[in-house]
Amino acid sequence: MTLLYDGSFETFLTLVHKMYYEKLNPDAILKKAPDTLLFDALHEVRYDETKSLAVFEALQKRFAKEHFERILHIFMCDGVDFEMDLLCYIITGFKSQRELENITLPYVFRLHALQKELFHISHKMSGFLRFEELEEGTLYAKLETKYSVLYFLGIHFSKRLNNQNYIIHDIQRSLAFVHTKEFKGVQKVAEFEAPKLSDAEQKFSKLWKTFFESVAIKSRENKKLQKCTVPLLYRTYMTEFMND
Amino acid sequence: MKKDIFTKMQILSDSAKYDVSCSSSGSENNYKTGELGATNNSGICHTFTADGRCVSLLKVLLTNFCIYDCSYCINRVSNDIARAAFSPRELADITINFYKRNYIEGLFLSSGIIESEDHTMELILRTLRILRHEYKFNGYIHVKLIPGSDALLIEEVVHLASRVSSNIELPSDASLRLLAPNKTKEKVLAPLKLARNFSLERTNKPISMSTQLIIGATPESDLEILRLSSALYDKALLKRVYYSAYIPINDDKKLPSIITKPPLLREHRLYQADWLLRFYGFGYDEIVSERTPNLDEELDPKTFWALNNLHLFPIEINKASYEELLRIPGIGIRGAKKILKARRFKKLKLEDLVALRISTKRARYFILCDGRMQKELPHYAEHIRHALLAPPKEKKEQPTLFDGSALFGEL
Repeated sequence: MTLLYDGSFETFLTLVHKMYYEKLNPDAILKKAPDTLLFDALHEVRYDETKSLAVFEALQKRFAKEHFERILHIFMCDGVDFEMDLLCYIITGFKSQRELENITLPYVFRLHALQKELFHISHKMSGFLRFEELEEGTLYAKLETKYSVLYFLGIHFSKRLNNQNYIIHDIQRSLAFVHTKEFKGVQKVAEFEAPKLSDAEQKFSKLWKTFFESVAIKSRENKKLQKCTVPLLYRTYMTEFMND
Repeated sequence: MKKDIFTKMQILSDSAKYDVSCSSSGSENNYKTGELGATNNSGICHTFTADGRCVSLLKVLLTNFCIYDCSYCINRVSNDIARAAFSPRELADITINFYKRNYIEGLFLSSGIIESEDHTMELILRTLRILRHEYKFNGYIHVKLIPGSDALLIEEVVHLASRVSSNIELPSDASLRLLAPNKTKEKVLAPLKLARNFSLERTNKPISMSTQLIIGATPESDLEILRLSSALYDKALLKRVYYSAYIPINDDKKLPSIITKPPLLREHRLYQADWLLRFYGFGYDEIVSERTPNLDEELDPKTFWALNNLHLFPIEINKASYEELLRIPGIGIRGAKKILKARRFKKLKLEDLVALRISTKRARYFILCDGRMQKELPHYAEHIRHALLAPPKEKKEQPTLFDGSALFGEL
């Protein structure tokens, strides 16, 4: 049986509920209806608040904190077909919490690895994110990442830019982490206009580029290594890799 | 003529770039509500330069004017180069503005000796005071202590900085006398000892310190270098020793000629050996000895050690302790931890290591998996060495659709 759901965490919880109580036995779980013909019954799961909440509470109660958080983190990994693995993970978890650390089980290992990749991207971005100063002094950064790390970054910067107003804008997902005196948290971005930069912005970005060019040692040049350490993927909004 | 800020930045970062230390790790999160800046325990790389090195800190000299004449140094007084100086205020402002834009993790501040040691240290201190007291900046600050400056100045720097260092540069006294007539090993180490004592007066955790050694400018062997590093780690004086392949910048009779290539591979091997000292529980005398005073350039130090101690292998990965696992070539800290975690659930075979994404390229010759050993090679050092150094087999190219020869049988 192939299941179809809308890709949201909540609906996935409904799916878990149905699997237990309606004895569904899926071979595959899809986020989108396929274009091609399936030789299998396609069953669509719709969001159901009571069922979803029941599973959520059960997970919270029965799963150790780090195992529960892993489930949430996996849902930040957009575009990965993790559903079958996660379903196995949840079934295993209700039987034995200890088994969830058994990395010799392929699905447990894959989820551990996926979570690690998420953390890796988040850590890299905590260094590679670049803020620009806007006219009224707010710091503004654009973000484009494979997985959704906006929330992690927002928290990270709330420590170091504690006395600043800043916005981290996740372009693809139309979300923004806003940090001001009045509001701290993630918001939806409905419309977006390119903001005006402060007068000092150009001076400091130029100064930074000067520094960046000048600290490289010519006799040790190794562009291939540089491509491994800062893959092109990350360079889109990095000041020092942007042409004027 | 007064230089503009861009020229200054160009000159003063160019002069500082031969200092390799750039880590921002090892200090706890220390943010305060309503203030700016925090350090991160794991350290954060903010970008990588064209030579592939991580940029974590704004690494500049306060000034490259210098009254010393050290042969290996680009800023020595007898060199005819462009000179410049930042004012403490100027540098503090740049640091804050770079930090807010997330360009950097903090400041790495060093300086040439202008007028006197004390005057230089005083200028550095002024920059620190502006950053810490006036701007309430809690980010990372690394300060190079100026050997020969007053103890009171050093005391204040120690209380304001996150890490301090003083570069030994040359691994023996003889070499120092030859190339840096104004310095001695004692003089270089003195501020570090002072710094440790000052920080111990206030807390029981001493401030973290580092030093740098130049490799290949003088004839010291790896044995001498590693013995020195090991002694510095053992006395818990230092957290890190950096190794810097000597890049000929000055034409001087006492130094390798200016066309010599920097010994980058040797530098790499020394770092590998350094990691074995700090994280893998090796002693320096296990890695190098009077008989083999230099590290093998072809093999990494751990593999080299294992081949010389083949009687200790193979090691059964299902039974070995963490310390023993760490001694297997090709298995690092993560690999060893994964093995410990996985083997609670089942007896591990070679395929399991592959599934756990642990590299078996080198390890396979040194391990037993549930009593089984690899069968391709006899357990002799020369066979294993040969296999490890053999060039990788070339991949067979897949014929493409447009490659007519395969279709029509033309050869």
